[in-house]
Amino acid sequence: MNVIAAVKAYVTKITEESEPGMKLLMMDKETTSIISMVYSQSEIQQKEVYLLERITDSQNQSSTALKYLKCLVFLRPTAENIKLLCYELTRPKYGTYYIYFSNIIAKADIKLLAEHDEYEVVKEVQELYMDYLAVNPHLFSIGLPNAIKDLTWDSFALQRSVAGVVSVLLSLKKCPVIRYQANSKLCREFGMKVNDLINKESTLFAFGQNSQSLLLIIDRRDDPITPLLNQWTYQAMVHELLTINNNRVNLSKLSGIPKELSEVVMSAEQDSFYAKNIFLNYGEIGQNIKQLMDHFQVKAKSHQKIENIADMKNFVDTYPQFKKLSGNVTKHVTVVGELNAMVNKYQLLDVSEVEQEITSQNDHSGHLQEIKKLIDNEKVRPIDLVKLVILYTLRYQNHANNETQGLIEMLKRRDISSDLLMNIIFVLEYARSITRDNDLFNVEDAVKITKRFFKGLSGVDNVYTQHRPLLQEILEEIVKGKLKDNSYPSIGLSSFNNRAQDIIVFMIGGATYEESLSVHSFNRNHPGFKVLLGGTTIHNSKSFLEEVKHAVSNIPRKHTRKIRNIDCK
Amino acid sequence: MAEANPIQEGFLCPICHKDLRSPKKLINHFQDLHSEEQDILKSIKDFYGKAKKKILKLDDQDLETFKNEITLENLYLECSEPQPPGCSTSHTDFFKSIRRERLEHQTAETNKLVIRLDKLLRLDNTDRKQQEQILVAWLDGTTVNRCPSCAATFNIARRQHHCRLCGSIMCNDCSVFLSFERAQSIVVPVQNLGITNKEGTRGRENDNFRICSHCSDMLEQRRIVQAEQMMQPIITQLYAHLQKLKSQVDSLVELYQKMYASLTSGESTFQLQDAQSLKASIGTKAETIDTISKKICSLPILEPNPKVEMLQNSIRRATSNYIKDYLLTLPPLPSIKELAAIKENRLLRVSKEDNEQNVNTVKIKRVTVTTGWSPSSLENSVQSDTESDPLMEQINIVRNYITQARSAQRFEEVVALEENLRMLKKAYRQNQLAKTEETKENNYQLQ
Repeated sequence: MNVIAAVKAYVTKITEESEPGMKLLMMDKETTSIISMVYSQSEIQQKEVYLLERITDSQNQSSTALKYLKCLVFLRPTAENIKLLCYELTRPKYGTYYIYFSNIIAKADIKLLAEHDEYEVVKEVQELYMDYLAVNPHLFSIGLPNAIKDLTWDSFALQRSVAGVVSVLLSLKKCPVIRYQANSKLCREFGMKVNDLINKESTLFAFGQNSQSLLLIIDRRDDPITPLLNQWTYQAMVHELLTINNNRVNLSKLSGIPKELSEVVMSAEQDSFYAKNIFLNYGEIGQNIKQLMDHFQVKAKSHQKIENIADMKNFVDTYPQFKKLSGNVTKHVTVVGELNAMVNKYQLLDVSEVEQEITSQNDHSGHLQEIKKLIDNEKVRPIDLVKLVILYTLRYQNHANNETQGLIEMLKRRDISSDLLMNIIFVLEYARSITRDNDLFNVEDAVKITKRFFKGLSGVDNVYTQHRPLLQEILEEIVKGKLKDNSYPSIGLSSFNNRAQDIIVFMIGGATYEESLSVHSFNRNHPGFKVLLGGTTIHNSKSFLEEVKHAVSNIPRKHTRKIRNIDCK
Repeated sequence: MAEANPIQEGFLCPICHKDLRSPKKLINHFQDLHSEEQDILKSIKDFYGKAKKKILKLDDQDLETFKNEITLENLYLECSEPQPPGCSTSHTDFFKSIRRERLEHQTAETNKLVIRLDKLLRLDNTDRKQQEQILVAWLDGTTVNRCPSCAATFNIARRQHHCRLCGSIMCNDCSVFLSFERAQSIVVPVQNLGITNKEGTRGRENDNFRICSHCSDMLEQRRIVQAEQMMQPIITQLYAHLQKLKSQVDSLVELYQKMYASLTSGESTFQLQDAQSLKASIGTKAETIDTISKKICSLPILEPNPKVEMLQNSIRRATSNYIKDYLLTLPPLPSIKELAAIKENRLLRVSKEDNEQNVNTVKIKRVTVTTGWSPSSLENSVQSDTESDPLMEQINIVRNYITQARSAQRFEEVVALEENLRMLKKAYRQNQLAKTEETKENNYQLQ
């Protein structure tokens, strides 16, 4: 149940099947991301892959043939790619071609390719199932922000997500029981599609359905809180404040960043410091960075002091490691320094404290006062204030003394743009849209649902990390075998074992790194279970608000008519 | 006194000295049995309350740090263990079957042309035209008014011509002339691969075959495929050499790591100087690899092609990374002094263990030469003294083997041979001892 290892195994298979020789890897935009999540260029060079090429660029470049190169082709099985590949085969630039598709491909397409291979350059044609981004061993993403349009699936996104999840199942050799969140049409539709595909490709899933494994499909709308919160663990924090895109962080827009650091790679596979600190909180990272610096300085000092031959020899022996270390130190010091600057500049600790209090404690007037105080604080960013008001409204919408409108007035007085303010309406509509289906059958008290969002955990270990995502609760229920059949029904099977050990959770509307941490610590604390988390994308608050806007901006307001001082038109 | 009232600890009742084990039970017990003693109860409660505050506060703090430790400190990502690849589906056979169907026709057609060409080349020059027509039936030109390929009408100025390979009709402008020389090279492909000008010279008919462009294309395609198969640019040769050296170094490094582990754990299986010489030879190999990769990098690029340049640089970079990360990071060997210390430590440890276990087993190892290497030229090197006994002779031979193995850097064999040598020496000593005793005995008997 390790997606990183799964992708690595496939890549090794690709490079080894083609026998020794100089190789070129031809990919499309998406497969480039898939590979680069797991391998760095210098690692893949050690597998004799010396050149990388986009299939779209292939025919544009100078047409000199390099027949002594083996061409490994790794593409998604799209119509566009087949067309390009046919063209490439009629004018082959390389000696031999080993073709791999990242997912199931139609027989007709293979026939088409075969008919174009007039020079007999193709040696292999295979399907390997890695049609997803392996972010961490227990976390994958389809890389589809804004998958939901007007509260229904975008048809391309649905197809892409189904293909992605099915490829996850095949790469891990799982044929799970499928359960979905009953109050979400999106989950149901998705589950049905996955089930249909599994049935259609029954020869592929010949290892048989196994009640030991479970695919649980849940809807982001059930927990709109988690992606809104400021984060304090390293990976989540970097994503929230600097945005991680395919393991890469773009620092070029920040001032005073040297050119070689304009884009840094944050990959736990290649960077042991990152792997060790990925889940540590802000304070601890600071300490560890200091240790790393000290360690580095000791090394640097020992390198300055070269007095005799022995020192010199020692220097030569340890220089490569030193060089590696120094690159790493600069990178993390820069990133953490940037985080630190933002935390201080925007007073994020104060903001986060209030956010956490709202999510896990019950004190309406107190929370209201805190928010008002922050609105008066010029240093706090408008977006943080808007998020606070969203949290407040989600939490206290039905409270007798609800003051959402008053808060909005205060935000207006701070000259916060109406574009930002609209997010308040959007998130509320988004969050409430999921109960609408339910209301028809059982009228669940809105307060009760709200409570579910905000249910805190008894043990409070850190003011800034009090909040526990809903996912954690769902996982605990699974452990106890208490996940209710009517809230999470299964597809296709009338009866099933309630105690699955291998659980793949797929979150429609995007997962978060906070949930990734929950899953990781769940795996640690429950050695019998293996949970893999996936999402249409990995959100931070900014991308989440985008997704929400995309999902509801064209839908007429239903649940927020009371809030009259924001006009969404 | 001391006997009657031993010092007791715990949650004791101040009246009956019973240990109640927990404050709650103590209070309950007091309320049940000694309810008359109200102020004592009160004082217990007070005392307990104060203690509770203090203890719990401490607990909370401890708990918090403890919790931080378990929830955060231990959370990190491990390196992913390799796992077998997941499902895969091969379409290669299906692909090839379809390709075969399509290509069979073309291949057969090309082969037919080559066979005809071969026959045409064997014709003697007398009455060629007739013989050619016997080989290939020429198309009847009476109904053909226009050239099939350029659609120009035939007339006195533009005459009909026939392709010598397929017999079809075309005008002079659409004819291609295949020289005998090139025809020869197509039939017997090893010769004259260097010629690359695609079209035969037009106009002269003497030592050329007139053929149509269709046949010419088919032959040309075949020639290109064959030429590419034969071609071996310098870069591939250098690269093959590089990879061969790398695989040699890999096995050396593996051996070095084994020796290093053995040496630093204090075993005397391997000799320090052997490890040193191995490291040195890894170093020289690394240098050779470096030089070759530099050579690849600086290969002249005939026509400006960014891809070739990238490839060469990339190979160079990969090789230097390989050397940096893999060969230069080998752990340095301990010095003789350090080694002695390590050995002493181990000896102490081993002797302790031995004393504990009192096991005295002598393992007998057999010399096994597994990697196909064997010492050579024994006859020359063994100086057999007539007087020395066979054991001594054996010892000399083994010694010789060891020096040979060492110079060939077969350190695993060295180890096995040394083991052998040790046993031989032991046997020899015992033998000698027996002999002297024998002579002593003999002497005694003589006396």
